[in-house]
Amino acid sequence: MDFSVITDNLDYFLLGAYPDGPLGGAALTLLLSLLSGLIAALLGLGLGIALSVLKGWPRGVLLTVLGFFRAIPVLMLIFWSYFLLPIVFHIDVPALATVVCALSLIGGAYLAHSVHAGIQSLPEGQWAAARALGMQPGQVLRLIILPQALPIMLPSFLNQWISLIKDTSLGYVIGVGELSFVATQISNRVMVHPTEIFLFVALVYFVFCSILDLLAGLLQRRRSGVRPTT
Amino acid sequence: MKKLTALTALTLAVLSGLAHADRLDDIKKSGVLRVASFDSNPPFGFVDAKSKQIEGLDVDYAKAIADKLGVKLQLQPTNPANRVPLLVANKVDLVLANFTITPERAEQVNFSIPYFSSGQQFIVKKGTLKSPEDLNKWRVGVDKGTVNEGVLREKFPGAKVVAYDDTPFAFTALRNGNVQAITQDGPKLIGLLANVPDKDKYEVPPFTISNDLIGVGVPKGETALTEFVNETLVELESKGQAQTIYDAWFGPTTKTPLTRLYKIGDKS
Repeated sequence: MDFSVITDNLDYFLLGAYPDGPLGGAALTLLLSLLSGLIAALLGLGLGIALSVLKGWPRGVLLTVLGFFRAIPVLMLIFWSYFLLPIVFHIDVPALATVVCALSLIGGAYLAHSVHAGIQSLPEGQWAAARALGMQPGQVLRLIILPQALPIMLPSFLNQWISLIKDTSLGYVIGVGELSFVATQISNRVMVHPTEIFLFVALVYFVFCSILDLLAGLLQRRRSGVRPTT
Repeated sequence: MKKLTALTALTLAVLSGLAHADRLDDIKKSGVLRVASFDSNPPFGFVDAKSKQIEGLDVDYAKAIADKLGVKLQLQPTNPANRVPLLVANKVDLVLANFTITPERAEQVNFSIPYFSSGQQFIVKKGTLKSPEDLNKWRVGVDKGTVNEGVLREKFPGAKVVAYDDTPFAFTALRNGNVQAITQDGPKLIGLLANVPDKDKYEVPPFTISNDLIGVGVPKGETALTEFVNETLVELESKGQAQTIYDAWFGPTTKTPLTRLYKIGDKS
């Protein structure tokens, strides 16, 4: 094993051609993950609440849309929106936006169901009691339900974010220069060190995911420290 | 994935009749020429270790076309399978990525006159291939979405064909023994071997199974742009720049010395 191939190309692994070209490598992976993680969380929260509140056919429509995004592979969504949208709707979505949108929509669809389940996990009496105190439905949700439900949902969010970090690598299919894409470029140039290169890539993903895991753990411990559970 | 790509290309080809506009004017207006090139196939297109930019023979031609237009060149890395979809979906203006001219592809995209010629060859571990007929019993690696795959199936129907994303990937499979040979255009294979530290263990047997002409891919129906590319290519040859570009990558002092057998204008 010869890890000099990593140190020699470290800036390309981490930043791509930046600043002489577009940002790429691990930095782009991080950026894509942060953006899509944030949008997916907001979408998931909004749609999950909608799923708990809506009734009748609007709920049916929402369920169908969520079902669609949960059922199609991320790779297909990225590939088709990149190549098909410009033709059918004359919308030219840049490669980076395609990846962020695809990951956000699919992540959001998964999270919506987690959020819905989190809200449902609270006893019906919570709603009834809050309403009896004269609260509006919005207030009940904001002040009573979500503060209790969100910590329950944290593991689901964490799962989704971790899976999302790794899914950014699917951008390779439309030539997005994230970590695994630039690693393949280097591997294809030096030819003989795929083991070292892809071990390093695995390590970087592991570090990213573990940091997220640690942060979530810290958050949870701080919360339970501040508000002792009974 | 190959089926998916083929299907997309087909759908896009059908739908693309809806889009109009003269691309040559659009390029001049925007001041940017968007070109798809390979990023993993020295010496046609690869990421240079020092400059971190995509460089190579195809890129030099792309630069020459952009210079003639007086616009900025913007390169987009591509794999073999995405070349047609990129053109049809208007993601790039030109494809210069070792793009073999075929009647099937010509239904979906325009081609310039050829600027390079090559024949399909093989890389095998040294001494293993006694006669070309052995290939009929072998596992052979190809690149998805290339002409090579079809030619291989036709000439060696007994071969077990394994398709990979790109040539270096296929070569890794050869190195690891997943396949016994890989096939691609000769110059591309020689360019690949030149960068392999233990190249002595491999050989490119001296026979070709096809004769391919490489052209610039242009969006379907963009006559003005196709004409412009053709004029530029002819001019590059007449002014000697085409020879200079060739010598920079395949000349006698390079890692991949190859005699230049084809000149622009020899075939149309």
